[in-house]
Amino acid sequence: MSSPHDDQPDHHHHHPCCGISTNIEDYFQTRRQFLSRMGMGLGALSLATLFDPKYLIGAPAPAGPTLGSSPLAPKPPMFASKAKSIIHIFAQGAPSHIDTWDPKPTLAKMNGKTIDGGGTAMGSPFKFQKYGQSGLEISELFSKTAAHADDLAIIRSMWTDIPAHEVATVFMNTGSLRIAKPSLGSWMVYGLGTENQNLPGFIALRGGRLPPGGSANYQAAFLPGVYQGASINTQAPTVPQMIQNIRNQYVGTREQRRQLNFVQQLNELHAQNLERDAALETRLESYEIAFRMQAESLDAFDIMKESAETRKAYGIPERGNGGDQAKQLLIARRLVERGVRMVQVWHDGWDHHQDLEARITTKAGEIDQPLAALLADLKQRGLLDSTLVIWGGEFGRKPTVDKNNNATDEKAGRDHNAKAFSVVMAGGGVKGGTVYGATDEFGGASVKDKVHVHDLHATILAAMGLDHTKLTYRFNGRDFRLTDVAGNVVQTILT
Amino acid sequence: MRRLAPIFTRVPWLPSAIWVLSLPFAPFARAADMPTPAVAQTISPSDLQFFESKIRPLLTNNCYKCHSRDADKIKGGLMLDTREAWLHGGNTGPAIVPGKPDESLLIQAVRYTDDELKMPPKGEKLSDAQIADLTEWVRRGAPDPRTLVAKGSSSSYGGVGRAHWAFQPIQKPALPAVSNAHWIRTPVDAFVLAKLDANGMTPNAPADKSTLIRRVTFDLTGLPPTEKEIEDFLADPSPDAYARVVDRLLGSPHYGERWARYWLDVARYSDTKGEPPKQPNANNDPRFPFAWTYRDYVIDSFNADKPYNQFIVEQLAADKLLQAQIAKAKAKDKNAPLPTDESSLAALGFLTLGPQFEGRMDDIIGDRIDVTTKAFLGLTVACARCHDHKFDPIPTKDYYSLYGVFANTTVPDEQDLPPLHTKLPRTAELLDYIAKSDDLKKKHAQVSADYAAFQQAQRKTKTREPEKRKELQKRDREVDKEIADLDSTHAGAIPRANALYDVRQSRDYPVLLRGETQNKGDIVPRRFLEILSAEPKKRPEWHEGSGRLQLAQSIADPKNPMTARVLVNRIWQQHWGTGIVLTPDDLGNQSSPPSHPELLDYLAATFMENGWSIKALQRVIVLSNTYQQAATTNPKYAETDPDNRLLWRANLRRLDFEEMHDALLTITGELDRTMGGRPVLITSEGFASRRAIYTTIDRRSPPELLTQFDFPSPDVASGRRYTTIVPQQALFLMNSPMVIEASRKLVDRASFAALKTDEERVSSLYLAVYQRPPTKEEITLAVRYVKANPTGSAVDLPTPVANEPALSPREQRKDAKQANNPKRPAPGRYAVQVGGNYNTHVMPDAWTKLAHALFQSNEAMFYQ
Repeated sequence: MSSPHDDQPDHHHHHPCCGISTNIEDYFQTRRQFLSRMGMGLGALSLATLFDPKYLIGAPAPAGPTLGSSPLAPKPPMFASKAKSIIHIFAQGAPSHIDTWDPKPTLAKMNGKTIDGGGTAMGSPFKFQKYGQSGLEISELFSKTAAHADDLAIIRSMWTDIPAHEVATVFMNTGSLRIAKPSLGSWMVYGLGTENQNLPGFIALRGGRLPPGGSANYQAAFLPGVYQGASINTQAPTVPQMIQNIRNQYVGTREQRRQLNFVQQLNELHAQNLERDAALETRLESYEIAFRMQAESLDAFDIMKESAETRKAYGIPERGNGGDQAKQLLIARRLVERGVRMVQVWHDGWDHHQDLEARITTKAGEIDQPLAALLADLKQRGLLDSTLVIWGGEFGRKPTVDKNNNATDEKAGRDHNAKAFSVVMAGGGVKGGTVYGATDEFGGASVKDKVHVHDLHATILAAMGLDHTKLTYRFNGRDFRLTDVAGNVVQTILT
Repeated sequence: MRRLAPIFTRVPWLPSAIWVLSLPFAPFARAADMPTPAVAQTISPSDLQFFESKIRPLLTNNCYKCHSRDADKIKGGLMLDTREAWLHGGNTGPAIVPGKPDESLLIQAVRYTDDELKMPPKGEKLSDAQIADLTEWVRRGAPDPRTLVAKGSSSSYGGVGRAHWAFQPIQKPALPAVSNAHWIRTPVDAFVLAKLDANGMTPNAPADKSTLIRRVTFDLTGLPPTEKEIEDFLADPSPDAYARVVDRLLGSPHYGERWARYWLDVARYSDTKGEPPKQPNANNDPRFPFAWTYRDYVIDSFNADKPYNQFIVEQLAADKLLQAQIAKAKAKDKNAPLPTDESSLAALGFLTLGPQFEGRMDDIIGDRIDVTTKAFLGLTVACARCHDHKFDPIPTKDYYSLYGVFANTTVPDEQDLPPLHTKLPRTAELLDYIAKSDDLKKKHAQVSADYAAFQQAQRKTKTREPEKRKELQKRDREVDKEIADLDSTHAGAIPRANALYDVRQSRDYPVLLRGETQNKGDIVPRRFLEILSAEPKKRPEWHEGSGRLQLAQSIADPKNPMTARVLVNRIWQQHWGTGIVLTPDDLGNQSSPPSHPELLDYLAATFMENGWSIKALQRVIVLSNTYQQAATTNPKYAETDPDNRLLWRANLRRLDFEEMHDALLTITGELDRTMGGRPVLITSEGFASRRAIYTTIDRRSPPELLTQFDFPSPDVASGRRYTTIVPQQALFLMNSPMVIEASRKLVDRASFAALKTDEERVSSLYLAVYQRPPTKEEITLAVRYVKANPTGSAVDLPTPVANEPALSPREQRKDAKQANNPKRPAPGRYAVQVGGNYNTHVMPDAWTKLAHALFQSNEAMFYQ
């Protein structure tokens, strides 16, 4: 089976043109060849699990025992790496770096004065202080997360191409401005498979509203559909409402198993004169995964299985609304714990053109405690070393007052800024207590050790043990990669 | 703002320029000077030795990095790895003139005499000895043994670059000789059998009749055959029984619904705009309220077997055809009435219904170039937007020639789109719509005027009033929404075509270097692609109007080597699951070699001879013995040809989403066979029973269920669907109320209740779901499953979810109401999710479970 790690000819990756027609032959042919080389009756494999009592009582199945042939089967990284999974918190709307992770005392001194470019300087109303042994300077907005300063790496010199939300959001996820390309999570599962065959390898947790760009943010694009991110609305009150058709509401698991056994018997009869056709066998296998997913998902997404203490630590109220981000992060932990390769958590509402002080306080307040709790929780369970936690948005904001909005001074906000923003990383493979890069004295533009979105992608792949120049997929006649023709790994922040 | 079109008078949008033309189009001669595939040179042993020892290593080590097929990036469009490649040369022309070193650019470059042209670059100049060798080689006539033939194709279909097979004229090959002439039913069989003969293989036996009718019925109509249709076919022993089935299916209106969906994939059809325009003078609402008129146009075109060349021209220039028709009538009789049926204009939706990129014209034009060249020509011309195409001979200039064509068009406002019919019966609904529409038009005009005044005032006073601007923009968006609401929902709304028309004063456009708007290069004339033109150097330039009509005619020209091949390959692929060429949207240099090149050309040639009739083409395919083979495997053949490229058996095909959805409805007798009209949400509550082609496609977020079943992205042309098999599909069939309730409906039929024996019941369900009777073994198995259905305390109920929220008072009332329903069985209340709401469910009985099992099985979801 052609693994993405093979040294495939990489002739065309310097060719940023579009490609659209569908050429998935390679994938299916190699899969078929793989099956035949293994002499594998997948049917036989799956049937071995048919009567396994542990599925009848709804206990979680062991991670991927019989699915060596699955395109989701775990694959070794290209080189040794600590990080095995990712939790990516997407602070959508372009959070202000100046008020969170990038202190600008000079700007504060210039408050209200005209600074270069003609804007009115707007110092951050929030206090920064040094945390931990590393002395990372972090805003009071993230004071709880700051308690983990020595585990954090802050990139203060991020920049992107276009300061428009939808384009930049999709760009942050796919590395592509216009053409539909696979998302980071899809590449991740394509490259590494996933440890738990009973759950999708890439799961996007979102609220009721779709992120700008919608499913483009977790799409598989031209990668096989099995790598598509499963998008789940965690605001739905119960797991069956989160995942379509996850639960059979007519019969119990035992009865369903009885029916599935019968279905597989029908399939065996049907296949008799067709021999082992790859498509038929894959379908047989997919039923078994789906069957296992039911029990596993109901469990994995159910935060009521956590202690009241844990829920409280994340900030989930026992009654009533609220705590959406806390709930998402707790689900995220439960998922990576179960071997899901990548979980993306959508946290929208960071677009603060006006009334920044109040609104960013609310937004940071929604995530600070859950994020701190997540880091503590992962650490306590020994999972922080293998989980790469990322927090960041699609671009940053300006050091000046947003003049497009006739807000009074007390209600001032900041306009979009593609030239500077911050991204925070922690956990697997990340050198804690690090600051990388810098913006200018006002925070208007990244100037030192600039990190482009492609560089960030290259770095995330590197932390996961993948070489971004070698993780390629042949489509429409050329080899595509997440970082297109660019990308430099920020080695400094990796262990 | 443009005026709303009056209803009972002529729609005033047709521009004044009038054209005369008639189909079919005058063919243009293809010049004989097309580059021909290189003839194998005879090379003397000493020349060969000189080349191998001196020249090949020199080229490989010093030039291939930038000038070969394996280069990261081919510089200057020049490849030096084959004779054909350097003869064709790069952007500056042929690299070598054999025998004339001083005239050869290659030699000039390596000599470093020209400051503009020094190779290898950056001072890595070759040694004098190396330069002398190269010069000597060119002097000898540049004898070059290197050839590159696409793997696996016969020699006549080799060639790269310009010599690529698909760029060569279509010639109708003679039928090949075969081992068994009796097997030949249509010409398809001759070509297939010849290939099998050559590989020492024989075709499969024919499929049995019930397999065959299921296959051909799904294939041509997307629906399963009815029990009556199967009975009739099985009972008909005449030799032409099958041919009559095929004729019936091709004549069915459901045929168009099936095949139109394929074309809609290619045409990246959607009912929404993606990112709607942001400009205040455009409609900012995300919907295309009249997109469905294009969908219906495509269905009608397939059903009418519209000649494909006409289908092409209409989709690119229906307005021009209409003008010509009017001009012709006027020429005969000055007072000739204008046609009232202008529904062909709906065809232009092909161009206009793409993503709107927030109104960015460069991207909208890029999308139109992309969909046009992929759909009709199987070429990825959009790749040449920023640089010459890397693999096909498509220079950036050609992209901007087509750019000019589309840049000289404009799309009317939603309210000014032309009605399909200019005369409509005066109904109360229509009058109400017109009144409301007029009101909105006035409202819109007012907002526009206010906005213009505001802008003017701001310019004058040099002030900024963002609040007021926002307020005006908001008002504008609100009116846009009201207009779209009215057009999308009002019963009297006038169906309109998503037309476009030419601007009054057309002009040529410059090349944008590297695709950058600020970086303008030479102005290029509007004209056809060089590689597909008879005389590339003397291509006609298009000055009349935008050039859309000329573009359409050039595409539909029978001498165009791509058009018929591309279409034949598409149709073939839909009958087999894979095409003769595997990449339907790209038959250029990057495509895989055709499995049956002669067959492709034979079908393409006869397709044009038969008046571009798609149905005639399909008859030749589905009536062939090749098509009628069984799908049974042959382990030996499967070893050498696992993907059945040689067609020694029929392929096994998974139902696509539409087939699965429509089959469920057909089998339970619920299918609403209404055709056409506004889209519906088939995934909404009550499982709307229309065919899946009528569901609303929102390209911002295509329905989750459809995407789980490989529905393609409606943002780009997709000539082939993925066929993934993922657990989410299984979850739908295992658990969704739609499938379980469909199973119940089968069992609830009166005819089923009247059956006396278990054997009859099993047979009834098998016939319904599989369209064939069960075997004895299957009956035994099924009855055993039914008998083992647990009863009493053994009944396995779904586990209630622990933290399911308590019922609201409203839900409690609803629940109580349903509890009084006598059909509701006693134990337990289970929530059933239907389109986001929860209904009380009815526990399935043993027979329902059997039917549900059949629906989940491979046999139901595949046809062979």
